[in-house]
Amino acid sequence: MAVSFSPPDPSKFAAGGVSGATHPSPVVVLRRVSKRFERGEGASVAALEEVSLEVHAGEVVALVGPSGCGKSTTLNLISGVDRADGGELEVCGVDLRTATLERLAELRRRSVGIVFQAFHLMAHLTAEENIALPLALDGREDGARVAHLLDRVGLTKRARHYPPELSGGEQQRVALARAMVHRPRVLLADEPTGNLDSAAGAAVLQLILDLAREERAGVLLVTHDDSVARAADRIVRMRDGRVVDR
Amino acid sequence: MGASSIDKDSQKGRSVFSALWNAAVLKALFWRPAARKPLRLFVTVLGVAVGVASVVATIAASRAAVRAMREGVSEVAGRARLEVTRPGGLEESFLARLRPLTDRALVLPVVEELALVPELGDSVRVLGVDLAVDGAARNVNFRGEFVEAAMPSGSDLFERSLQCEGVLVPAKLASELSVRAGQKLTLLARSRPVEAVVLGVFDPGALATAMDRVVLADVAWAQEAFGRLGRIDRVELLPRAGSDLSALQRDVAAAAPAGARVAAPSVRADSTARMVRSLEFNLTALSGISLLVGAVLVATALATAVVQRRATLALARALGATRGQLAAAVLCEAALLGMGGGALGVVLGAFGARGSLASVRATVAAVVRGVPESAVEVTPAMAAIGVAAGLAVALAASVLPLQEALRTPPVQGLRRERPRVLPRKVILRSAFATALLVGAALLLLQIPAWSDLPIAALGAALALMACVLTLAHPAVDALARAVSRLRMRGKRAPLRIAAASLSAASGRAAWAAGAVGVAVALAIAVSTMVGSFRRTVTDFLEQAIRSDLWVQPVAAETGVQVGRLDPEIVTVAQSIFGAGYVDPFHESMAWIDDRSIALGAGAFDVIGAHGSIPFRDGRSAREVFQSAREGGGVLVNEPLAQRFRVGEGDMIELITSSGTIRKRIEGVFLDYSRSQGAAVLDRAEFLRLYPDDGPESLSIFVPPGMTPEEGRARLAAALAARYRVEVRLNREIRKEALAAFDRTFAITSALQLVTAVVAVIAILAVLSALVDERRRDLALLSALGGERWQVVGVVVAQAGFLGAIGVLLGSGAGFATGWVLVKVVNLQSFGWTLQLLPPWGALGGIAAAVVPACLVAGLAPAAAASRLRPAELLRDDD
Repeated sequence: MAVSFSPPDPSKFAAGGVSGATHPSPVVVLRRVSKRFERGEGASVAALEEVSLEVHAGEVVALVGPSGCGKSTTLNLISGVDRADGGELEVCGVDLRTATLERLAELRRRSVGIVFQAFHLMAHLTAEENIALPLALDGREDGARVAHLLDRVGLTKRARHYPPELSGGEQQRVALARAMVHRPRVLLADEPTGNLDSAAGAAVLQLILDLAREERAGVLLVTHDDSVARAADRIVRMRDGRVVDR
Repeated sequence: MGASSIDKDSQKGRSVFSALWNAAVLKALFWRPAARKPLRLFVTVLGVAVGVASVVATIAASRAAVRAMREGVSEVAGRARLEVTRPGGLEESFLARLRPLTDRALVLPVVEELALVPELGDSVRVLGVDLAVDGAARNVNFRGEFVEAAMPSGSDLFERSLQCEGVLVPAKLASELSVRAGQKLTLLARSRPVEAVVLGVFDPGALATAMDRVVLADVAWAQEAFGRLGRIDRVELLPRAGSDLSALQRDVAAAAPAGARVAAPSVRADSTARMVRSLEFNLTALSGISLLVGAVLVATALATAVVQRRATLALARALGATRGQLAAAVLCEAALLGMGGGALGVVLGAFGARGSLASVRATVAAVVRGVPESAVEVTPAMAAIGVAAGLAVALAASVLPLQEALRTPPVQGLRRERPRVLPRKVILRSAFATALLVGAALLLLQIPAWSDLPIAALGAALALMACVLTLAHPAVDALARAVSRLRMRGKRAPLRIAAASLSAASGRAAWAAGAVGVAVALAIAVSTMVGSFRRTVTDFLEQAIRSDLWVQPVAAETGVQVGRLDPEIVTVAQSIFGAGYVDPFHESMAWIDDRSIALGAGAFDVIGAHGSIPFRDGRSAREVFQSAREGGGVLVNEPLAQRFRVGEGDMIELITSSGTIRKRIEGVFLDYSRSQGAAVLDRAEFLRLYPDDGPESLSIFVPPGMTPEEGRARLAAALAARYRVEVRLNREIRKEALAAFDRTFAITSALQLVTAVVAVIAILAVLSALVDERRRDLALLSALGGERWQVVGVVVAQAGFLGAIGVLLGSGAGFATGWVLVKVVNLQSFGWTLQLLPPWGALGGIAAAVVPACLVAGLAPAAAASRLRPAELLRDDD
C-alpha cells in the first residue's frame, strides 16, 4: 500500500481523532506520579509532580507543552527506561513500580513501541534489519510482517538501504515501522515530526494515526506543535511538570 | 636587506609556529577530549609502557650480564695494559724470560679458575696473583682497605698468603656467606673440597661489581688447588712510567713461546662479549616485537580518537581551523602517549630488568661459562632511549590516524559511518602491501649474517609479521560481511549487530585485530622455534647420549657446571669399568686465526665402539671416529663449520698450547650444547698438546654384567671420600639437559607474555572506544527491550571476532616467521641446523587462550555498555 504524502485531513482531526470509538480498557495508567532529578550538591528539581493520565487501547492522546515541562520524562517512565519516585504507574497491566528490569525489557519488547524525535536507527543495519530488530531481540522472525510494514510506510524499494542513505522522513518511517513490528499495545511517539519538514512530518503523522488505528494501539504522542496535537483524540497539556488541562 | 630578510623569515617562522600551536584549538581538539577519557589515555600509555619496558628490561638485563663479563676481564685487570695468553696456559718458566723487562714493566702472573662455593650454590672466580705486587696494579690496595683481618698487620697477611694458607674475600661475598676473617671457606676445585682460611675481607671500592665474586689467593695457592703446578694462565704487564708500550709489546712477543699472544686485556673482554652478542641481539629483537604491538595500540587509540572526535574536527574546520592545527592536535596526543608511555616504560623496565636478570643470566650462561653476578643499571642514556622509543613509535603510529583527521572536511562532521563493501582499491592496496612485504622478506633472507648478527633475517621475520597488519582490514571486512549474511533472529541477533558494527568501523577494528595477530604471530613463531629446537635437542640427546653413566663436577644453581674433574677420577673410573668403557671429555681452547674456539678431546676408540654422535652427513659415529683416529684428523661441530665455512675433508689450522697444528676435518657433528665453534681431537693427541688439567666430564659405558645403578653405586663409593661429583644415569642426564634447555628459553616465554598483555590491552582499548562510539545504539537496544545479555553479547561478540581474526592471521604469519627463526636466524646466530616442527599443540593452546582472553577483555566494556542509561542517551536534544 502506498503512503500518502499529502497533509492529514484537518476535518478528520476536527472530528475527534482516528477512530471515534470508545476506549474501555486503559493500556497506560498514571496516578499521581512524580519524578525528581538530582542537580548536584544535594539539590534536586521536580520533573513531574503528581501527574495522572490514562491512555486506552485504540486511543490517540497528545501530550502537549513547552520544552522542559516533563513530556519526555513521562514517556521515559511509561517505557520503563526510567523509574518514578512516587505514584502508581501501570502499562498493559504491568505495575512498573515493582517490575524487575527483565520484566520491563520484556514489556518494551512485546507491548510497547517507541518512536524517537531523532529516529535512533542503527546506522550499520539496513532499513529492513532495523525494522526486524525488536522481533530479533525477542527471538522471533516474521519476514512477512516486516515486508508488510515496509510496504505500509512506502519503503519496499529502500529495504536494503542503510539509514545514512535515507532522508529524514524515510528514516522516521523506518523508525515507525520498527515501533509497530511487534504489534505493540502502546505506541509512544516523542516529537515524531520534530526533525522533519512539514510535508514529511505530515506524512509520518498520518502513518502513525493509520497504523495505530489498524493495530488498535493506544498512542501517546508527545508534541509541542498544536497542529499535530489536534490530530489526537484527546489533548493533555503540561506545564512545569504538572498536567494543567485534559 | 639581509637583516630585513632575516626578520621576515623569523616572522614567517613565528607565524607558522603560532598557526600550528594554537592553544585554544589544541584545548578543544586534544586536551579536553583526551582528559575526558582518562581510562583510555591510561590504557594506551600503559600499552606503550609495557612495550618500552620489555625492551628496556631486556637491554638492561643482558647489558648487565655482558658488562659483568667485560668488567670481569678489564676492570679486574686494572692498570695492566698488556697480557700474554696462550691456549692451555703458559709455563711458569716464561716469567724468567721476562725478567730483563722488569725495569720497563711490572710483571704479574695470574692463575684464574672458577670454583663452586657449595654454600652459595654459585661459582666464584679464584684469582691467583702475586699479592705482594698485585694490589697496586689492580687498583686495590690490600694493605689499606681491609675491613677486617685475621692478623693484626697487613704484612702478616701477605706472609701467610705466600705460605698458601688462605684467601682474601670481598666484603659482599663474606657477608653473603656469613664468613669472617679467620674462619674457613669451602671451595670445590677440580671436584675436591678445598678448605681455605679467610685471611682477610677486603672492600673492593669502585670495583665492587667486578670483584664481588672474586676470591683472591696467591698464585701458588691457586696452582696447587687447581692442579697447575708450574703453569700460569696468563701474564699481565703494567708498563712503568715512560716505557714505550708498543716496544714493550714487541719485546714481550719476542720472548713469548709459540702460540702465545700479546694483546691488551680489552681484546679478551671483546672476545667474551662477542660470544654473547648474537644472544643479546636476538633477545633485544624479540623484546622489540612487544614495542611493535605497543605501536599498533597507539595507532588504534589515535584512530578511534580521531573518529570519535570527527564531529568536533569537522566543526573546527568549519570554523576555520587549518589542517596544520588539526595535525598539531593529533601529533600532540601521539607525543603525549609516546612520552608518557616511554617514561613509565623506563620505570617498569628497571623493575622488569631486575626480575629478568636471573633468567637472562641463565640464558647467557648457556653460551659462556662463569657469568658473574651483576647489578642492573638503567643509565640516563638508556632511559632517554626508552622515552625516545616510546615517542618514535607513537609518532610513527599516528601517520594513518593523522591522514584520517586531515581528510575530515568541514561539512562531514554529522555524517555517520555505515557498513559498506570495502572498496576494491583498498583491497588491492592491502594485497600490494602484503606482496611487497613478502617480497622484501624473501630478499632479506638471501642476505648473510652481518658480523654474526642475523639482522637481515630478523628484518625478514619482521616483514612477515607486518603482513598481519596489512591483511587485517580486508579480513575484518570479510568476516563482518560473512556474519552479516546470518539472518537476524534470537540468539544470533547480538552476533549480527556486532558484525555490522565492526563492518562500519572496520578500519579501526583492523588495528585491534592486527595487534592480536602480531601477538599471536610472535607466540606461534617463538613456539615453532622453541618447539623445533626442543624436538631437535630431544632427538639429539636420544642419539648422542648413549653412555650409561655421566660424571661431571657439581653444577651451580644456574644449572651450569663449574670447574673440572680431577684426573684421578678418570683413573678410578677406568679401574672399575675398564679403560675401554670410559670416555673422558677434555676441553680447552685454541685459536683459528684470531678467533677463539673450544678445543675438546675424547677417547675416539671408546666413542667409536659404544657411542653414537650424530654427524651432519649421516655417516655412523663408528665410521667417522675410526677414520679420525686412523688419519689423525679432527672433528668439528656444526657452529664451527658454519662460522668458518669449512666442511668434511677441508684442512684447518689450530693454534694450540704447543703451537700450530694442521688437521683434516673428518666429520662435522651436530652440537646443540654450544654456539661457540668447537673442534675435537682424539684424547691421546690432545694430551700431547695440552697439560692434563682434568676432564670436563666422563661418559661411562657400563660393561656387560653390571647394571648402571650398580656402576653408579660403585663409582660413588670409590669417589665419596675425596671428591664431590655428580654421577647421573642416562635418563637423568637427558632430563637435566632438557631442564637446562627450558631454563635457557624462560626469557622468551616472559617476552611472549608481555606481548600478549599489550595485545589484550589493545583489544580493551578498541572495545572501550567502540562501546563509547556505539553507546546510543547499545542504549537503543535496551530501549527496544533488549536484555542485558544481548547488550553484553554484542560487545563480547565483537571481542571474539577480533580475537578470531587475530588468531587466524597471526597463525599464518607466525608459521612463516617461525620458519625464518628456525631455518635462518638460528643458523646465522648459532650455527645450528634444526628440524622444523609445526607447533600444532601450541597453536591449539594459543587459540584456546587468546580468544577467551579477548572475550574477557570485552567483558569490562560490555559491562559498561549494559549500564548505559537509555533515558539519558536517547534524549533528543543531543
